[in-house]
Amino acid sequence: MIAISNLKFSYRIGNFTLHIPEFSVDKHEKIAVIGPSGTGKTTLLNLIAGIIVPSRGSIRINHTSVDQLNDAQRRQFRITHIGFVFQDFELLDYLNVYDNILHPCRITKALQLDPAVRQRARMLAQEMGIGDKLKRQASDLSQGERQRAAICRALLPRPGLILADEATGNLDPENKTRILDLLFRAVEEHDTTLLAVTHDHELLKRFDRIVDFKEFRD
Amino acid sequence: MSSIRWLLTFILLIVGVSVQNSDAAGPLNVYVVNYPLKYFAERIGGDHVRVKFPVAADVDPAYWNPDLADIAAYQQADLILLNGAGYAKWVANVSLPRSKIVDTSRKFKNRYIYTEEVATHSHGAAGEHAHEALAFTTWLDLEFAAQQAGAIAAALSRKRPELRNSFQSNLEALVTDLKGLDRDIQTMVSKNPAIPLIVSHPVYDYFTKRYGLNVVSVHWEPDEVLHNRQLRELKGILQQHPAKWLIWEGPPIPASVAKLKTLGIDSLVFDPCGNVPDSGDFMTVMRHNVEDLRRAFSVTQ
Amino acid sequence: MLDSFYIAWKYIQYNRIKTAVLVACITLISFLPFALQLLLHESERQLMSRAVETPLVVGKKGSSLDLVMNTLYFGDDVPELLTMAASDRIADTDLSLPIPMYVRFKTRGNPIVGTTLDYFEFRGSKMARGRQMAVLGDCVLGARVAESLDLKPGDSLVSSPESLFDLAGVYPLKMKVAGVLQKSHTPDDRAVFVDLKTAWVIQGLGHGHQDVTQLKDPTLVLKRTESNVAATAKLFHYTEITEKNMASFHFHGNLSAYPISAIIAVPYDAKSGTILRGRYLSKNETQQIAKPEEVIDGLLQNIFRIKNVLDAVIAMVTLATVLAVILVFALSLRLRQREIQTIFKIGCSRMTTAKLIAAEIVIIIFSSAVLCSVLMVVVRSVANDLVRMLFIK
Repeated sequence: MIAISNLKFSYRIGNFTLHIPEFSVDKHEKIAVIGPSGTGKTTLLNLIAGIIVPSRGSIRINHTSVDQLNDAQRRQFRITHIGFVFQDFELLDYLNVYDNILHPCRITKALQLDPAVRQRARMLAQEMGIGDKLKRQASDLSQGERQRAAICRALLPRPGLILADEATGNLDPENKTRILDLLFRAVEEHDTTLLAVTHDHELLKRFDRIVDFKEFRD
Repeated sequence: MSSIRWLLTFILLIVGVSVQNSDAAGPLNVYVVNYPLKYFAERIGGDHVRVKFPVAADVDPAYWNPDLADIAAYQQADLILLNGAGYAKWVANVSLPRSKIVDTSRKFKNRYIYTEEVATHSHGAAGEHAHEALAFTTWLDLEFAAQQAGAIAAALSRKRPELRNSFQSNLEALVTDLKGLDRDIQTMVSKNPAIPLIVSHPVYDYFTKRYGLNVVSVHWEPDEVLHNRQLRELKGILQQHPAKWLIWEGPPIPASVAKLKTLGIDSLVFDPCGNVPDSGDFMTVMRHNVEDLRRAFSVTQ
Repeated sequence: MLDSFYIAWKYIQYNRIKTAVLVACITLISFLPFALQLLLHESERQLMSRAVETPLVVGKKGSSLDLVMNTLYFGDDVPELLTMAASDRIADTDLSLPIPMYVRFKTRGNPIVGTTLDYFEFRGSKMARGRQMAVLGDCVLGARVAESLDLKPGDSLVSSPESLFDLAGVYPLKMKVAGVLQKSHTPDDRAVFVDLKTAWVIQGLGHGHQDVTQLKDPTLVLKRTESNVAATAKLFHYTEITEKNMASFHFHGNLSAYPISAIIAVPYDAKSGTILRGRYLSKNETQQIAKPEEVIDGLLQNIFRIKNVLDAVIAMVTLATVLAVILVFALSLRLRQREIQTIFKIGCSRMTTAKLIAAEIVIIIFSSAVLCSVLMVVVRSVANDLVRMLFIK
C-alpha cells in the first residue's frame, strides 16, 4: 500500500529533519505510529498525504509516486484516496452533520455530489450510529459523536488509506475504544488501510504493527 | 366638371369643419353690468358670445347687489364687461378675476364727469373724500358709447383671435349706427342749442355735455306724484332757468304731467336704457328718445 | 461555484449577528450618500419648482431675494411697498397679466396674502371645501392652515395687529372663511388668502361705518358743509364685514395709490416677457423686475455649497467604514484559519478557499445592495413629503 524509500525532509525554519530510509505499509494493515512529541509523526502523515513534499526520496501509495505529483495532482490524489481523521475532529460548526460529511464533495471538483454519494453519506452515518443526528449542528454533538461524523467524512470518498492523527486524543476512555472499534471495522468493511498516530498506549495492542518514530529521527 | 364639383365640395367641407372647430370651444360666456354693454356685446359677438345680464328688469343695475350665486357666475365668466366710472357699486366690494375684467370706459377715464350733486364725507379735517361723485351713464355720450363698443370688440378679439375680422365688421356696423344717431342729435340740438331743459334725475351728464345742453337737474321719480315741495323747488328753478320741457327717465304718471302743465312745462321721456327695455333694443330706445327730444328742439322759443 | 455559495450561506446563517452588522454597515455607507443626494435634489427641485413656475416678479428696487421670498414663499421680510399704479402700468403694456400681491399681515402666525382671483387660476389651485372668496371680508384658507386651526367654511378668523400697540394702523378684522384649498404641497398650504381690497381694509385704508351724512350725534361730526361732512376719530369703524354693513364699506382716495408688496407678471408669450423686462432697465427706474428662477438658483448655489462639506464628511465616514469592514473580514479569516488548514489538508485548493470567502463577501454585499435598493425606493417614494417635513416649512 505505502512504500517510502530514502525519505528526507527538513522544515525551512528550525533544525528539524526527518529521515526515513525504509518504511512500508501493506494493504488492510492497521499501523500505529508512536513516539515523543516533535519527532515528526504528523510530518510523516503530511508527507504521505502529499501536503508537503520531501527534499529527497520517494513515497509511493499503491502505484502512485506522490512525491512526483504537482500541487493540483497531489490535492486530487489526497481527496480521492486518503481520508483524514483529526484529533480535534475539525468539523465545521456552521454545518450540520450531513453537510459536514458531504463537505469534501463541495470543495473539490474531483468528487461529484450526486444521489449515490448522498446515499453513501446517510449509510455511513447509520453505520457509525449517528444516522438520526444528520440534521443537527456539529456543535450540538458529543465528542464521540463528532469523531464519528469525522470518520464518516473521511470514509465518504472511499479512500484506500485513512490517516488518523491522534484520533482518540480528545476522547474519554470509553469513547476511545468505541472510535478505535469503528476505525478498525471501517478498515475491514470499506477495503482500506489505517495509519494512526497515537499516544494511547492502552490501545496499541489492537494494532497490527507499531512503528516507533524514535528510529527515524536524526 | 364633376371633378371640380367634388373639389369644391371637399373645400367647403374643410372650411365648414374649421369654422366649426373654431367654435368647438363654444361661445364666450360674457357677463355684463348693464344693458347697453349687453347690447353692444351681442351686436359685436353675434353667435360667438353668450351674454348674461342677471339683473332683474325692475332693478336699477347701478345699485343692484348680487348674491353669492351671482358673484360666482361672474367669477366663472370668460369676460366681465364693466362700464367703469364707478358704475355698479357692488363691483368694489366683490372679488372678480382681473384678467377677465374689461373696463370699457378706461380709455376715456380722464374725461369722466364728477358730479357735485352727491354729498361726500371725509375723516378728520384733511381726510380724503369718498369717491361717490362720478357720473356713470357714459353710454349716453354716443361717442363714448362707440369707444366702449370698441373696447368690447378688442376684448373679444383677444379671446378669439380667429374671429377678429367678424368682430371688427360687426363693430363697424354698430359704430355706424351710433355715429348716425350722434349726427342726428347734433343736427337736432343745433337748431336750438341754448334751450333751457330740466331733467328729473342727474343721469344725463354725459349726454348734456356731449351735446352742450342747457340743463338743470332735480331728483324726481316718474312713478311718484309730484308734491308741493317739489313744485316749489321747480318754481325756484324756473326763475333762473325758464325751461319749458322736463325730461323724465321713465314714463311719468299723468298726474305729475298735469301738474307740470299748469306751470307751462311739458314732459318728455328720455330712457337712459340702463336695463333691458320692455320692447325693442338699445338703438330703438335711443331713436325713440331722440324723437321725443326732438319735440323740445323743434319748438321755437 | 454553487457549492461555494451554499457553504458561504450556511456560514452566514450561523453567524447571523456578525452578518447583520456587516450588512447594516455596508448598507448604511451605500445608502447614506445616495439618499442624501436624493433628498438634496428633491429639496432643490421643490424650492426651485415654485420659482420656475413664477415667470416674473415686479417690486420696488432693492433686494430681489426679499422680493421673491416674500412673494413666492410668503416670507416675513416685507419688501418696500409699491402702489397699484405699478400693476396698472403692466396691464397697460398688454404684455403680461399682472397679479398684484400684498403679503404683509398675519393671522395667528399664518401669512395673509392679499391678491386677486387670477392668482388661483395661475397657480392651478382647486377648492377642497366651500367656495372661492366672493365679497369683502371673505378669506380662503390653505389646507394646512385649516387643519392646524381646525377651521372650515363658515367659521371666522381675526387678523393680527402688526405690533402690540398698533393704535393707529392695522386693526383686527374678523374675516369669514369662505373655502379651503386642496393641498398643493407649496407655501400656499399655510397661507390665508384674501382679496386685495380686504387686505386694505385690514390696513385701515378701507372701512365701513354709519352713513356720516345722517349722523345726529354732534361729537361724531367735525365739520359739515354743503358738499362734505368731516367725521371725527370717534366714529366707530366696523371690525367685521357682514351682509348688513357691506354696502357701507368704501375706500378713500385713488385706488391706484394703494399699497401692494409685489406683482407677479405672467407674460403672454416669451417675447412679451423679454420686452417687459427691458422696460425696467432704465437707470432712473424705481422698480425692479426679477426672474424668480434666477434669484432662487443663486440662493441655492450658495446654500448647496454646504453639500460639498457634507460630501467630504460622508466620504471620510465611508472610508472609515470600509476599513472597518475590511478589518472584520480579515479578523474573520484569521478566526477561520484552522478551518482553512483543515480543508486544505482534506484536499481543497487555495483557489477554492478563496471562492468560499469570496462567496461570503458576495452574499453580504448583495444583501446590502438589495437592502440599499429597497431603502432607496422607500425614500424616493416619500422624498416629496420627507423634504417638506424636514426642510421646507
